[in-house]
Amino acid sequence: MPPRLPAPLTPVVDACVVPSCKSAPFVRSFSSTPCKQKMSRARQQMYQWLKGREGSELAEAKGGPRYLGPLQDQPFPLNPLFRSQPVLDEQTRELIWDKVIMRGEALKAVSAEMGVDVRRVAAVVRLKEVEKQWEREGKKLAIPYAKAVMNMLPKTSYREGEKNLPHEPVNEIHVHKLTMQQLFVPVSESRHFTRQDAAKAFHDTMLSVDARSPQPELIKMEREILQGKTRQDSLAKFKEATQKEEDRVAQRIAREAQREEEATTRVATDRYEFRFKEINADDVGRTGRSRKGTGWRYGAPFDDRKRGLVKIPTSVP
Amino acid sequence: MVVKIRLARFGRRNSPFYNIVVAHARTARNSRPLEVIGTYDPIPKPDPYDNSGKLHKDIKLDSQRAKYWIGVGAQPTDTAWRLLSMVGILPKKHFAPKESETKGSVNAGDVKIR
Repeated sequence: MPPRLPAPLTPVVDACVVPSCKSAPFVRSFSSTPCKQKMSRARQQMYQWLKGREGSELAEAKGGPRYLGPLQDQPFPLNPLFRSQPVLDEQTRELIWDKVIMRGEALKAVSAEMGVDVRRVAAVVRLKEVEKQWEREGKKLAIPYAKAVMNMLPKTSYREGEKNLPHEPVNEIHVHKLTMQQLFVPVSESRHFTRQDAAKAFHDTMLSVDARSPQPELIKMEREILQGKTRQDSLAKFKEATQKEEDRVAQRIAREAQREEEATTRVATDRYEFRFKEINADDVGRTGRSRKGTGWRYGAPFDDRKRGLVKIPTSVP
Repeated sequence: MVVKIRLARFGRRNSPFYNIVVAHARTARNSRPLEVIGTYDPIPKPDPYDNSGKLHKDIKLDSQRAKYWIGVGAQPTDTAWRLLSMVGILPKKHFAPKESETKGSVNAGDVKIR
């Protein structure tokens, strides 16, 4: 805020005698208290600091945010718990969208290459798709707002053909509650104690770390490299494996849609289209109360309005 | 007793949802039927992510069972008939009131009055 100019000591009513004041009657300040004639020492120091090198650097904010304290990720010097996490910059998000949608690369491959979590990759692609759709529809985007927000945040970037730092670790494993206990498992010295055995020790149905990893293909790739294969070969193999996996998922979704379509008869009338879907009446089971059955169930409670149950939909079509 | 193919109204107020049921004619509407052969959602809905404004109604039907029950003499109600005739299980039927037939006009010269 610029220093407040000391108001004339004349009463406020007299100020309105000035002819310009009549055209805009609300120009006067809201406070009727006259300003202090002298600035306090602290205030003087504040303006000195603002005019000095540090203050001007903070105000200009070129190339990302600048925080008051010595730390790079702590926006509020008195709140050490609030750490500002870097976000992907605009070009990187555009690149992710281009790689996934235009070049058809697998999500996992893009994630591993760019060092971005696979869920974040998927989210970026979804949001970019929405943005492109809005552009096609001619919706106005709040780009100046987005730019202003992005200027206030620390960013990570990925440029193709350059050496880049990863945005985040991509193969982090969820810490399962069962693995938080301290265990002492006596094992004979001759026994080869693997990760599978460790998981088994925690719980019978517990999966090993490799199985719970979001990108087991990456682990496999690194294992192959350790066994003596070249990184290039293993990387090609990794990309092929992820692409195949993604293709399988896409095929499964297409198959399901086709099966749905085959089971549906569409009858168009002059008002609405009637869609008849073939079902099996025997799905209700012997008692007629199975959840797989079609239609409202008889003799079974329907808890759609029960207290404490989530009413909002948990999935999108 | 007569076996009917009819609708049983479920759902909530202002959001009806019907089970297409096979039941004895004299039992209550929502009592446990002989068999539930499908559902009928009478509220027209748009497809998700579709801005064209076209609406559709969803019906689930076990056509094999419907054919069987028709074959053994179950009598569909008018609404059930309308639905079953859409998929060709029953012939089409006109349920709206019949249009009045226009009779020929009478020529005064042709009429002989004793």
